Parts: sequence; C-alpha cells; structure tokens
Amino acid sequence: MTETLFKHMRDLPSSHLLGTGTPTCAGCGGLQALHQIYDVFGGKTVFVNAAGCMTLLSVYPFTPFRGSWLYTAMACAPAGAQGIRDALDILLEKGQISADEDLQTVVLTGDGAAYGMGLSATSSAIERGLDFIYLCYDNEGYGNTGQQYSEATPHAARTSTSKGPQGYPGNKKDLFSIWAAHKPRYVATVIGAEPLDLARKIEKAREMPGPRLIIALSPCPTGWDFSPDATTDIGRLAVRTGIWPLKEYENGKVVHTRIPRKRLPVEDYLKRQGRFSHLFEPVRKEALLAEIQGRVDAYWEGIEG
Amino acid sequence: MYRIRFHGRGGQGMKTASRILGTAFFLEGFEVQDAPRYGAERRGAPIFAYVRASRSPIHERGIIRHPDLVIVADDSLVPVPAAGVLAGVTGDTLLLISTTETAATWRDRLNLGDAVLTLPAPPEVEDRLELRFAGAACAGAAARLTGVISEASLEQALQEELAGLPAGVVEKNREKALEGYALMAAHEGRVKAGAKVSARAYSAPDWIDLAFEKARISAPAIHAALTSEKMPTGLWRTMRPVIDREHCKRCWWICSSSCPDGVIDIDAENHPRIDYEHCKGCLTCVTVCPSHAIRAVPEHQAVTAEETGA
Amino acid sequence: MMRKLLTGNGAAAWSARLARADYIPAFPITPQTEIVETLGNWIDNEQLPARMVTLESEHSMITAAGAAAATGVRVFSATSSQGLLYAMEMLYTVAGWRAPFVLVNVSRGLAAPITLEPDHNDIMAARDSGFLQIHCADCQEVLDSVLMAYRLGEDERVRLPVMVNQDGFYLSFTREPVDIPDPGAAARFLPDYDPENIRFRASAPVSQAVAVLGGAPYSYFRYESHLAARQALEVYDEVAADFEAEFGRKREALEAYRTEDAEYLFVQLGSFATKAREAVDRLREAGWAVGLLRPRLFRPLPEEKIRQALAGRKGVAVIDQNLSPGRGGVLHAELASVLFGHADMPSILVSFIGGLGGRDISTEEFFEMARVTRRAVEDGKAPPPRLLYTETELREVRKLQAIANAERADLEKKP
Repeated sequence: MTETLFKHMRDLPSSHLLGTGTPTCAGCGGLQALHQIYDVFGGKTVFVNAAGCMTLLSVYPFTPFRGSWLYTAMACAPAGAQGIRDALDILLEKGQISADEDLQTVVLTGDGAAYGMGLSATSSAIERGLDFIYLCYDNEGYGNTGQQYSEATPHAARTSTSKGPQGYPGNKKDLFSIWAAHKPRYVATVIGAEPLDLARKIEKAREMPGPRLIIALSPCPTGWDFSPDATTDIGRLAVRTGIWPLKEYENGKVVHTRIPRKRLPVEDYLKRQGRFSHLFEPVRKEALLAEIQGRVDAYWEGIEG
Repeated sequence: MYRIRFHGRGGQGMKTASRILGTAFFLEGFEVQDAPRYGAERRGAPIFAYVRASRSPIHERGIIRHPDLVIVADDSLVPVPAAGVLAGVTGDTLLLISTTETAATWRDRLNLGDAVLTLPAPPEVEDRLELRFAGAACAGAAARLTGVISEASLEQALQEELAGLPAGVVEKNREKALEGYALMAAHEGRVKAGAKVSARAYSAPDWIDLAFEKARISAPAIHAALTSEKMPTGLWRTMRPVIDREHCKRCWWICSSSCPDGVIDIDAENHPRIDYEHCKGCLTCVTVCPSHAIRAVPEHQAVTAEETGA
Repeated sequence: MMRKLLTGNGAAAWSARLARADYIPAFPITPQTEIVETLGNWIDNEQLPARMVTLESEHSMITAAGAAAATGVRVFSATSSQGLLYAMEMLYTVAGWRAPFVLVNVSRGLAAPITLEPDHNDIMAARDSGFLQIHCADCQEVLDSVLMAYRLGEDERVRLPVMVNQDGFYLSFTREPVDIPDPGAAARFLPDYDPENIRFRASAPVSQAVAVLGGAPYSYFRYESHLAARQALEVYDEVAADFEAEFGRKREALEAYRTEDAEYLFVQLGSFATKAREAVDRLREAGWAVGLLRPRLFRPLPEEKIRQALAGRKGVAVIDQNLSPGRGGVLHAELASVLFGHADMPSILVSFIGGLGGRDISTEEFFEMARVTRRAVEDGKAPPPRLLYTETELREVRKLQAIANAERADLEKKP
C-alpha cells in the first residue's frame, strides 16, 4: 500500500462525485458518509443495494450515481455482488470486456440488512473470499419505515417500537467483531463527521482485493430526533465520547485509528438526541446512564494508554 | 361529501391536522376517511393529507382529485408544481392559505376570485419547519369552514389525537386550533359538500392498448448518470445557508466535506459555492464552519432579498 | 450426436453444457442435487469452461443468477420444491430485471408435511413470478427444452428468465435413452448471448432494477413484462421450428396425442402425461375416441392453441398434480377460464387431483377418469372434483395413524 493521499484535511476532495437531488432527509448522516466515500471510489463502481433508506437514491428515472447500481432485496445484496463480480471476471477471462470496463463491486445496505436479514449472505460472501466492498450505513434502526428498533439499536434508545420508559432493552450487536471473526481482508468503522479518517480507510480498502467491510455510523435527524444541522456535531461526539470507536481490522489485528485523548462523558452525546431524552426528563435515569457509560468504559479499558 | 386536502411540509403536522378534522367530523356523526400521502421525500419536502366526510357511506378512496377545500399550511408551497397544491382546484374549490400576505394578494396571484381565504401565519417564524402548530390552526379553521363541526367536537378531536403528548404541547395546539376556528367565524359554512360524479355525462378515460416494447426500452433501468440533479431539492429548504465571503477563511473546505448532500464546491480561488438548486437547508455547514462565516437566513427573506437585489 | 442412457438430471446437466452456460450459482436440494454435482465435476475436470459457486441459500442463488445475467453472461441454475419457495421473493424480482437465464426446477411436493416425492405445487407457486415455464414429460425433453429455453428467453422480443420443469424421481432419477446433440449443432441452434444494453460496464453506467414511485410507471413496467411473455408464444413457435430443423424433434407448445377424432381428452402436465398416453392407446383399442393434450408451455399459456384443440370435443378430464387449498386444481381453473365464452367449447371439464407427493396414477385410474367424463357428458353435468385416492390407501394411513395415536375412537367408527 502506497502512502495515503489524504494527509491533511485540505487533501480531501473539494468537489464531489455523487450527484445531488437525492430524496434522503436533510442532514442525513448516511448520505454524508456515502458522498465522502464515493469521492474516493469514483464512478467505476456498481453499487448493489438492499432494501433501506438508500434504496430511494435511485428512483426511476433519477440516479445520483456516475457509475452503476442494482437494487436486489433486503437479504441478498452480497449475493448480487457475487453474481456481478463473477460475471465480470468471466467476461474479463474470456476477453469479452477489456480491463478498463471492469467495476468495483460495492454492497450498500443499512443496518437492518447488515446486522439482521442479510448477515447470512454477508457471512457466506466473506467465507467465499468475494472481492467486494460492503458499506453499511448504520442509523441504528429501520429508518426507512419510521425507525423501529433493529439489531443495531443501542441500549435504552427510544424507537417507534421501543417507546417505553427504559427504551430499547437489547444491546447493539457487535457487527465489527462478527465480521472480523470471519477474517476478511479488511473491516473498518468510519463516520462522516471524521472525513479524514474515513477517506484514509476507504482509500486503503479500495486498493485491496477480497472482502472489505465498512460500517459508517450515520446520525439520523429523523430517526434519532435532532435538528438536521447537528449531524456532524453528534457524529463528532460519538467519537469523542468513545461510544463509536474508530478502528480497523487487518491481518488478524484490530487497530484503533482514533483514541480519544480525554473521553467526554457519554451523556454529552446522548442528551443531544431526542431518542434518549427519556434518560434525562422528567428525571435523570442514573442507573441507565451509568450502565451505558460503564459499557463504554469497559470497552476502552486496556485500549487507552 | 366533503373532500378536503391539507398541504404542508414534512414535519408541519399535516397528518395530525387531517386526523383532528377527521375525528371532529366523526364526532359529529359523519362517515369519515382520513389519510396522509408520502412520497420518497423527507422532512421539509412537500406532503399532503386528506379527509373525506359524508352523511352516507363513503365509497370513494385514495387521493382527492377534485377538492372542495384546500388548506395550505405553508404558503411557500403554492408555486411549487411538485407540491400539487392547486391540482384539481376549480372555481368551486375554496382555498385557505396560511400566510403573512393578504387574501387580495393571493387572489390576484392565483386568479381565483373570492374563493381564496387566508389564515394569518405567525410573522415571527424564521424557519418554517418551526410551524409546528400550523396543523392545529389549519384543522380548526377547516372545521369552522365546513359549518358542521362544533367547537366542542373540535376540542375533543384534538384531545383524542394528541393524547400522549406533553400537556404543554397539547394546550398550545388547542389554543391554535381554537384560534383558527374563531378566525373563520365570518366564513362558517363556506365549504359546500361537493357533488358526486355523474354517470349521465362524463368524460371517458383516454385508454390505450399499451404496446409491447423491447426490454432495451421497457426494463426498469436508467441508462444515464447523475439524473438526480434534475430534482430541485432546494425547494425543501426553509432556511438558507449564506456564506459571508469576507469572513470565510477559505480553509480546508470543511463545509464542503461535511455537507451531506455534497452541494458545496470550492472554486479556483478556494471560495466555497453553495448549489441552492439542490441545498436542502440542513445547515450542517453553518454549524461546522470554524470561522462562523456561514449564517442561516429564512428562505423567504433570502428570496425577497434576491428579488429586490438587496 | 451421442445416444446415451441419462437421467433427467443428467439431461439437464448436459443441456447446460451444450448451452455453454458461463455461470452456475448452485445450492443442493433433493432431487435436484445431481445436476449441480455433474456440472461441478465437469468443471473440475476441465470439460466445462464455466464458473460454479455454491451460495448459502436459494434466495441468494437466484440473486446471484439474476445479477450475473444482468451483467451479461449466460447463466444456468437448478432447484426444487422448498428451495424454489425460499427463492420466491427473488424469482419475482429478477424476472422484472429483464435479464434472461434458465432455471431447471425438479418438482417435489411442498411441506407440510415435508416429503421428497414429486408433485407440481412448487412450480405452480411460481406461476405468476414472471418466469416463463416449460414442462417436460421425458428426459430427452429436459435436454431439448433447456436449449430452447435459452433461445426463447434471450430473444430480444422476450428477455425473460425461463423455468424448465421436470418431475422428481419419475424423471430426475430415471434413466432413458437421450440424444445428446453435437456441440456444433447446439451452437448453430443457440448462438452466444447478447445482453444488449442490460449489462454492467464502466463505459456505460446503468442503474438497474430501480424503485418507482406511483402506479403509472409501475403498471407500465409490469405490463411490459406481461406483453413480453405474450410475445413468447410467437417466438416459441419460431424456436420450435428451428429446433425441429436442426434436431428433427417436434417440440410444440401444446402436445396433442391422438386427438384427431377424439371426443374426450385428458389434459395434463409433466411426466405423468406419458402414463396418460399409455391409457389413451389402451382406450383406443377398446374403441374409445380419446386423446391427450399436454401443454409444454404453461407460461405463457398457449390459449388459442388450446381452444383450437378442444373445439368440438364432448368432455375433458383435467388431471392436476397440484392442489390450491380451498379451490382445487390450478390447471382445471386455468382451462375453464381459457374456454369460457368461446363458441363450440366442451361444456364438461371434470377435475381430478392426483399424484400428490409422488402418489402414482394407475392406467386403470385413467380408464376410470375417461368413464367418469363420458358419464358426465351424458348427464350434462360435471361431478365434483375427485381426488385419486383408494380405500386401500386410507387403510394404510389408518395403520399409521393408529401408531401415531390419533384419536382412536374416531378411527374405529370409520373404516
């Protein structure tokens, strides 16, 4: 791997490849990450999509892509990527297309598909060594249907199917570790609020062969209940409170790319979002807050120097 | 049958308005249908909701094509074709617009005679998405215009529909709904229940025999790039980010990297330029600019300033 | 040309080889597995220059098949029964992509209760998926039909995926002499696949299978698929004529067996129709004017040909190897709708349900079905649908129920 092109913020692209005019919500953290990622990938890509918010990026006859796109269904985008990758390889081998007609295959799904319905198809694609990039925009719920809880929903979050005083009783599934346990070529977490870290990881992933998987935490004004202008603030807080660790898996090792020097209390992140307001009003739910902070602390124990 | 359509933006309570009105009709003994209609668009984008009410069972269903009353909670939507505010509006339709302008202005503008009424919109509203109580005011006004809904039924409907919200929010909505109801006193009963479609004389549908076309044309595929740019998502915007070129330090374009929609490009002199045709007005750029060189301006003011060259 | 003893599965594998399939997404399921095993062995021994990949489910298998076809290669796949149902979401989905490929279904009854033996409920469940359907009666037909299916599906007037159906066990595991065409002849009949503008290339961006908003575009795209399937009737006849010219075998959309002067006709799909042929021969010997109609093409249904074949007949015995609970036989209902309102159609359509879960149909039962149909014509009234099921069979089931401790008191009351 050659040295990164992205040493400083000013190395980031100042014009963008993904088309405008998409129907995502104003302030969409998923689109923020996607447009940054697309700047690095470019148009020689075919995005294979599973049912989710981003399915509406391409609604006939409108598409924001310079390259190609295939919508499959909720459970099987990695299988769609398999079919496309294999077919392109066949065409290349037979000399029916030239190398410059080749495309990078990118699976694009939300957390509903990535953490749940599509996990089996992803597991198998990794196991087969499929040469593809999986991009999960994780807004921690079934956002396209009105933010019901998914397997990516964090503990205590209010969703439209967890409106009780304790919020969602489950815990966010550790998809990073599940993916990494398959020993793919590369796994990384990113967030649009940290564009330099994101660009370096995507640049790295772009150059590798084999299965490469990226989870982008995607602050969601609509589903998380905050003002659309706060997407980046909340994303930064997710990193600085340590609730969204930025890290990568490669060659059997996990490396944290950003270790917060002084972690902020996790409630700085929680209280900016309506989905956690029941933790603060009408009375502070100290036990729940302590539990959430405790999990974050436990995660970083041994990682922080 | 009454056929009533509410137009607003996602987040302005149009669905709630249609439900309050629907329940109010129901409490008055009417048969009712109410429903919201969503597209792929999101918060800030135009949406509508509708109510049908009749003393006899309702067999119509779906979108109201010929409304008896159209209520517009956000006057900036009226000129937006995609919002469809004026779809199916005829001389028999009453139009109620929540606006800071006068009814006369709108009558002239729309050439609709005296069938335009206005509901005073709160002038101090900066961001139209803050028109959170617009729905309640519209529902109250609509109830009075029908002339068949009592104030008590309106209140009860509102309590039923908003049950579960904090008491302060309910009270504010109630206030707004009753205000809307009171403001329309002079026009009580102006909306007339529309006639049913006649089978004696009707315009026949222009049916065709759909012809076979080869898959190269008829597959659901887009054989082009970047066509989404034809969608003017700038229309969703209620607040406009404006870059102050004096204060902009022409830094490492954090505004451009952070803009979710990628609508900020950097020109040859390192000046950021916002594509207002597509900027949805999320204002992320305003919050991330390190030198605070981007400010938010209400869209209607920005438009006025543009028009007057200020 | 080689003539060899091949199972239906062997014939299916040979057809994929002769069609020069580039890509074979697979998933094992009885009684289909032998097809992908055979293809896999050929690939491993470099007898077949194709790529095979085993997915983790049929749902993914059909997705990969459709995606590869949408990228512009020739794709073959095979499944059966529960696998076909597991893939159902994607059958409907990929059919709408207008990227053709061929899927062999080896018919097997559906759970519950789970069984390995054949009937047609699996393929009937895919009836409205948008795939075209060809139903085979013998192993030769499996091979022939797959080659024809590629020609049909890939035609620019059609561009739809095609299912070729064969019955589990009765064909899949049964060896018969099969003519295997020379590769050269196969290539003359079936040229290389032209993906037209439905493919992924860096130089020509395309967004495929995109969402639509509203009923107008949705209706357009769906109805165009239907019109393409209707075009396939005409295209099929051309393909069948070319096939006959190349290989000498007539593969008509609607097989008519000894129907010339027949007053009564059996109508049946699949391999059990060869049993009906046998019965027709015996009945003819006994002086009955009986024949058989067997639609090979079930989607699109050759309605006009069916009406022509049935015009002036007295009665029809429709034998369904499927069951739509609460309704009855699917073919019977389809046939009734084809005939309704047309002049000179037989007024008696007797419905028989038989062969569920591999249950055999005896020659005597065909005789009896003919007799019941003739009596119905004489009475001017069709009897209620008849399940082909004997007292002996019920006695066998009673024994099983006794062991299963089903309500003894009830069992003792009835035989």
